[in-house]
Amino acid sequence: MPSGKLPKLLIIDDDAHLRESLAEVLELDGFECHQAGAAEAGIETAKKIDPDVVIMDIQLPDSSGFQICQELRKRSKATILIMMTGRFLSAEEKKQGFELGADEYMTKPFDLAELSVRIKQLLSRNKI
Amino acid sequence: MAAGSRRGKLAYKILFWFLLISVGPVLVVGYNLVNISQASLRKETLSMQESLAVGFSDTVNKYVMSLKNVIADTAALEDFSSMNAAKQQQYLNRILQVHLAVLELSVANAQGQETLRTGRFLEPNPKLRDVEEEEWFLGAMKRGQYVGHLERFQGLYPALTIAVAIVDPEAQPPRPIGVLEAKVSLNGLSTMLSMEFPPAGKSVAAVVAPDGFLVAHSNLKEVYRPDARLPDDILKIITTQSNEKGGGEISMPDGSRLLGAYSDVRDLNWVVYVQQPIDIANKTAAEMTRQTLTVLGWVVLCILLLSLAVANHITQPVRLLRELADRTGRGQFEGDLSDIPSPTNDEIGDLQQTFLTMRDSLKEKTGELIHAKQELERFTKFLEKRVDARTRELKAAQDELIKKERLAAIGQMASVVGHEIRNPLAVINNSIYFIKTKLGQASAPDPKVAKHIKIIESEILQANGIINEILTYSRQRDLKPERVLVNNWLEELLSVYPFPPHIAVEKRFDPANPAIEIDTAEMQQAVRNLIGNGIEVMPQKGTIHVRTARQADGNVLIEIGDTGPGIPPEVLDKIFAPFFTTKARGTGLGLAVVRKVMDRHRGRVDVESAAARGTIFRLYLPAAWERRR
Repeated sequence: MPSGKLPKLLIIDDDAHLRESLAEVLELDGFECHQAGAAEAGIETAKKIDPDVVIMDIQLPDSSGFQICQELRKRSKATILIMMTGRFLSAEEKKQGFELGADEYMTKPFDLAELSVRIKQLLSRNKI
Repeated sequence: MAAGSRRGKLAYKILFWFLLISVGPVLVVGYNLVNISQASLRKETLSMQESLAVGFSDTVNKYVMSLKNVIADTAALEDFSSMNAAKQQQYLNRILQVHLAVLELSVANAQGQETLRTGRFLEPNPKLRDVEEEEWFLGAMKRGQYVGHLERFQGLYPALTIAVAIVDPEAQPPRPIGVLEAKVSLNGLSTMLSMEFPPAGKSVAAVVAPDGFLVAHSNLKEVYRPDARLPDDILKIITTQSNEKGGGEISMPDGSRLLGAYSDVRDLNWVVYVQQPIDIANKTAAEMTRQTLTVLGWVVLCILLLSLAVANHITQPVRLLRELADRTGRGQFEGDLSDIPSPTNDEIGDLQQTFLTMRDSLKEKTGELIHAKQELERFTKFLEKRVDARTRELKAAQDELIKKERLAAIGQMASVVGHEIRNPLAVINNSIYFIKTKLGQASAPDPKVAKHIKIIESEILQANGIINEILTYSRQRDLKPERVLVNNWLEELLSVYPFPPHIAVEKRFDPANPAIEIDTAEMQQAVRNLIGNGIEVMPQKGTIHVRTARQADGNVLIEIGDTGPGIPPEVLDKIFAPFFTTKARGTGLGLAVVRKVMDRHRGRVDVESAAARGTIFRLYLPAAWERRR
């Protein structure tokens, strides 16, 4: 990833407000944010822009977040995949998600400062 | 024997018929015998009386005839028919001397002039009479002899006149030349009668002439009366009889009954009469009847005893069989069979054999039935127990299921609601963060706006906390038990718990420090909820007591107490219900979680509260198995 260029971030969630508010907050922190309202659209966008970070809801109207996670991981090992959830996840589910390539879990509502720091951390690790 | 007193009806029936068949004829025969004997006795008595009468009539005839013969023999003497008075006198004296019955003698010639007269009671040479008109004179002259004319000599003795013709022995043909007449006393007859029939006895005998003149009587007093006669009733009967002899019963006007017999006296036209009261004959008959009845009584008694014995003999086995059948009917098979006689070789024996066989078979069948019944009862009990146990299990399972379903429904709803609220919450959170960031970049931020942003952030946190609480309560997850020492575990929990400064903590731990097996995350939640509640009710100052103890029943107790105002008794039983709360802001799930956690750990929770003194929650947990070190 060439320096000076903003890291590309893809948000996949069916809730438009959540998508937008999250995108705008993260844009303030210096991310280039893209959005998708469904799994299929999300995968398409990811193919097009090749994001550095994908933040996706586990539950989507047309598919499970885990399936997108698996698909995207196949395409790129470097992409940081962050799963969002509104409910408790069992240890089993979490374990399954990690095996499919998820890097991080976040329970809604999330501390945005923390999220921003965590993403930058993961990105800087990838650079090394 | 007790059974003897309860002789069966069969025995009485047999007895009855036996008696009817055997005693009946005996009675009939006995009755007839008595009757016959009475009749024949009477007849016998009568014929005896009759023969007495006949015999006596013979005697009377002979008596009179012998006297007549004496007179006739004398008259026939050659010396007498010579009509020599002197010689005749000699003969007459002789007669008077020898024959005491002769009272007077006289001789009359053919012209009816008395030529000679002599007598015991006459003075010598009495006056001679003219007798040609006398009956005896005419009778003797005409027919050769005369017997008749009864009279009371000197008004007392019965006397008879006998006259015999004196026949000329020379004359051809013979012709009467005079009459020898004698007056004879008949007292001799009465004497003979009285000897034969003593006056002391009841029998009476008499000789009577057809006109009722009493010739002789067994009672001499009767004869010596001038007007001596037999009673007219008797006289009438005996004088009207056509037969020479006879007898029968005579009913007297006074009601007495007599047995009378009579017999005509030959040549004299007299009647000998013998009577005796019928009682005498009857007495004999009664005696005989009595004896017959006695014999009959013995016979009946013998038959009775005999038939009793027979009936008993016949019915004894039947009765025993019946008693046995009764016992069998009541299901008593254990009776003593020794009193049942060995079967006899007849129908009763066959019956007994058949019955015993039937009884054995019945006993066997009953035994089988009882056994089957017992089996059935046992099986039924077993089934009932099984059914009860299964019902309890099912009920418990159903209760559990209902509870689970309810919790699952709550969980599902809570999960959906939580999820749905978390999204907008996240949006609000994002937006406020955006605003805060933007404002932070501005030169002079309005402090009031910053304060409100803080309020919003705080409320978001609180809302999220409530959601978390609901989701935690409704979460379905498996327990992850972990073995811990209760004191150590609690110590760690308390050390990280953020107690506010106005709260004191007092610990009293059991030195035994028992081990428990718990899902630490859930149990921690429970204890934290209790401590949190305690702190909440003591806003000024207070103490949290934490105590552990090993119970006598093996459970481990964790006690969390506060010194708050206490819980009102009216709500004390509702505090563990989900969504029940008294706080202004609270989900009402804190204590529900405690209860749920305790249930999941097979423990229990109870609460004790006193107004103004505080509340104590007690958690009882099963002790962990002692682990070998």
